[in-house]
Amino acid sequence: MTWRIVRLVVQYGLVLFAAAALNFALPRLAPGDVTDYLIPPEQAGAITAEQRERILARYGLDEPLPVQFREYLAGLVRGDLLISARYSRPVTDIVLERLPWTLLLVGTSTLLAVAVGTAAGFRSAWKRGRATDVSTMSTFMLIDSMPPFFVGLLLILVFSVHLGWFPIFGAVPTLPTEGVELVVEVARRLILPALSLTAAMLGTIYLVARPALVSELREDYVLMAQAKGLTKRQVRRHAERNALLPVTTMALINLGTVVGGATVIETVFSYPGLGRLLYESVLARDYPVLQGTFFVLAVTVLAANFVADLLYPLLDPRVRRPFASP
Amino acid sequence: MTTQETAPQTVEPRRPPRRERTTGGVLGSAGAAILVMLFAAAAAAPALTRYGPQERAGLPNRRPSAEHLLGTNDVGHDLFAQLVFGARVSLTIGLLAALFALAVGLTVALLAGYLGGTVDAALMRAVDLTLAFPFIPLVLVVAAFLGRGLFMTVFVIGAVIWAQPARVLRSQVLKVLKYEHVQAAQAMGASTLRILAVHILPRTAPLAAAQFVRSANVAIMIEASLSFLGLGDPQRISWGSMLFFANAHNAIVTEAWRWWIVPPGLALTATVVGFAFVGYSFEEWGDRRLTGGSGSVRRRRWAAEHAARGPAAPADPQVVLDIRDLHVHYDTPDGAVRAVDGISLTVGRGRLVGLVGESGCGKTTLAMALPGLIPHPGAIVGGTVVLDGHQLTAMRPGEVGRLRGRVVSLVPQSAMNALNPAYTVRRQIAEAAALTREPDDAAARADELIELVGLSAAKATAYPHELSGGMKQRVVIAMAIANEPALVVADEPLTGLDVLTQARIVRLLLELQERLDVAILLVSHDLPLVGQVVDDLLVMYAGRIVEDGPAKEVVADPRHPYTRQLLKARPQLRGADRDIAPIPGLPPDLRRPPTGCRFHPRCAEAFDDCQRVDPDEYEAKPGHCSACLLERP
Repeated sequence: MTWRIVRLVVQYGLVLFAAAALNFALPRLAPGDVTDYLIPPEQAGAITAEQRERILARYGLDEPLPVQFREYLAGLVRGDLLISARYSRPVTDIVLERLPWTLLLVGTSTLLAVAVGTAAGFRSAWKRGRATDVSTMSTFMLIDSMPPFFVGLLLILVFSVHLGWFPIFGAVPTLPTEGVELVVEVARRLILPALSLTAAMLGTIYLVARPALVSELREDYVLMAQAKGLTKRQVRRHAERNALLPVTTMALINLGTVVGGATVIETVFSYPGLGRLLYESVLARDYPVLQGTFFVLAVTVLAANFVADLLYPLLDPRVRRPFASP
Repeated sequence: MTTQETAPQTVEPRRPPRRERTTGGVLGSAGAAILVMLFAAAAAAPALTRYGPQERAGLPNRRPSAEHLLGTNDVGHDLFAQLVFGARVSLTIGLLAALFALAVGLTVALLAGYLGGTVDAALMRAVDLTLAFPFIPLVLVVAAFLGRGLFMTVFVIGAVIWAQPARVLRSQVLKVLKYEHVQAAQAMGASTLRILAVHILPRTAPLAAAQFVRSANVAIMIEASLSFLGLGDPQRISWGSMLFFANAHNAIVTEAWRWWIVPPGLALTATVVGFAFVGYSFEEWGDRRLTGGSGSVRRRRWAAEHAARGPAAPADPQVVLDIRDLHVHYDTPDGAVRAVDGISLTVGRGRLVGLVGESGCGKTTLAMALPGLIPHPGAIVGGTVVLDGHQLTAMRPGEVGRLRGRVVSLVPQSAMNALNPAYTVRRQIAEAAALTREPDDAAARADELIELVGLSAAKATAYPHELSGGMKQRVVIAMAIANEPALVVADEPLTGLDVLTQARIVRLLLELQERLDVAILLVSHDLPLVGQVVDDLLVMYAGRIVEDGPAKEVVADPRHPYTRQLLKARPQLRGADRDIAPIPGLPPDLRRPPTGCRFHPRCAEAFDDCQRVDPDEYEAKPGHCSACLLERP
């Protein structure tokens, strides 16, 4: 058990290190001068050699690369992610302001997609080969095939532009609001982006849940559960309990993809999360923010997967107690 | 195949096999049709429109007209031209990135599968973590720094999506490497390259094709997302960038959404649907487990029409199982498999009865019929089964379900897998006991049963993976007797156990039979072993009972040639006769059983009549019958 945890820490540590190294390498590999990526774009190219030296010195860029890398890593550990070129504020502050909105959006959508996708996938598995199965499967594959931003645009078109039910801009009302009213307003602004993102991952969950249960249903323990006289519902629970394992794994592995989807969805809905920040900083050529946002997104997704890897044994006794002697 | 050689006589003409329509087949053809249209449009783009995608073709912001089928955008580009040429971008990027991802994925899969051990573990962990990584932000960041050309996009997308094919293909490679004939080829020194070319690649091809298509889809989606964020290749207009410009100019709040947003959105959807459908059909082709039904409507109706509802037989309280002329068929595209073809038998209360025969003779089907668990697409099509006074064949499935566990229970084949890996032993036994008890009593009963089947009390909280084969078998038996049914059907309960454990399980069954007064139908292929312990023996061949009688007599003086062969087909540890005499040939194809006596093609003692006359059961001695013409009075 302890070994498992040590192994996990090392593995996730390595990936995190790779992400950090990539972040370090990109501006240095990219065409042009490093200083171009540190100052507002309109000033780039218009600075004197002396100013350039000063910028390099300020960021420690005149040091040899290994020293720069060490300083860079030390900065990451302190939570120091450079200064935004556009806002002249620490990137860490900007990113942390936006993070909760992405968590809210991604969390809501994941829960929704797992609930609906699993229920539908299990239903299809019980009715496999019949008309309901084929039609459910085609529907989910169709939803899965729609680009998330297209779904978002269609939802805006129908529910905001034509029906006028939901506002389409931001996450909170522009006028100051408080208490219950604030909650309601936040929820109203969350519904459409959350639905779009749910649609983006529904198919994935469904297409894992269905075959997972189909293959469980072929297991002998399901036959035994029937043979010992359990009711249909009890037998169902036996099989579904085990089919949930691959679904859970998939939902977590998929988190990285969902965060990618959130980037696009947040842009469509002007939702003030990290994805939107990523997009804004690409447009504004605010490279420090771009890199900081990417790094925080990577850390968040990896952290969620790490926690899930730690908790997984609670779901599967074969992992929890692998060495117990018979 | 073999059976047609052994049974060349007048067999019913073979019906042409009905082609089964599978979900994958339907979806695959639909997907292929979509893709053909798209590729055609992409190839013929210059012929379909007079304008280039980035040519000022007319006035800006025009509505659709004969001149501009989808109108123009804010700078006067023809939207129809952009749509048609956009297909080229999506398809090019999709196919190139997928090729790249598949090449990397297959290499990783082969390395992991072949080298195994630490390399495999490390590679697979890398795959998992790559899969979990937020790759759209990664692509975004890389694109922002390194530029946005077509090949850069392809390279970056390919570099982040190889993990899924690697994961899927690796498990397929492992599966193929485990096949016996592949292991044999390896053992005989076939070169790695040969094994790869002859065994692995052909069997990996369907899944590789499926993964290629999937990767193309993912790549198309990523490209569309990138372009939609304004980070696509600026030299080319793709569907994603059409939507970027549409969104940037608020087409959504004007009427322009109809020709500026919906067409590229639908085009993307159609492309991805096309690829997804084709991919699913490849997957189904590669993995047959996804097909197969839970029982289609047609088959249900077939079963219902054929369900026998004969009159109730007079109930004899001393008989727990009374089967009369039972027929169980499996409805397959090649005709009905008559797995049980006219069987009659009785089992007395508290008796231990052995049912023996080779694999494929229908004994498992018979065993499964008693608790009403014949697997799809099988059904009872004739005869009656009376179980402890309940006429099974006149009951609805739900009613039969209520007999399970209470009146009849089953110890299924391969007890190794008959326990749910997620629950403890006590919980699984208590669940069975709770059929007739309150939850608290059920838990107590479970502990009692654990002791009764000879397990230590400490095993109550164990999970199945912590038990040995013999222990699992005991747990399964405990579940079967939890509610003291009148009849326990034990299907091959001794298979897969070592000789000592076999002996212990046999002793346990004998003990339980005596203490609980339960009748046991012991199904086995091992006549010499079973013959020593049971009271009565039934020998089954090709869906029929060929000999039955008291076990001692059948073993000492077998009256059917098949029984004699079965007795010889096992090595003797003691005694002079140490020769093993396997029975020549295979059991017949139960779709087209031989005429006359079903055993005659394999029988050393067959004579002319055997081909023509279907033997009845003849009473060789009182209570000892044989369906052999040699015993004809």
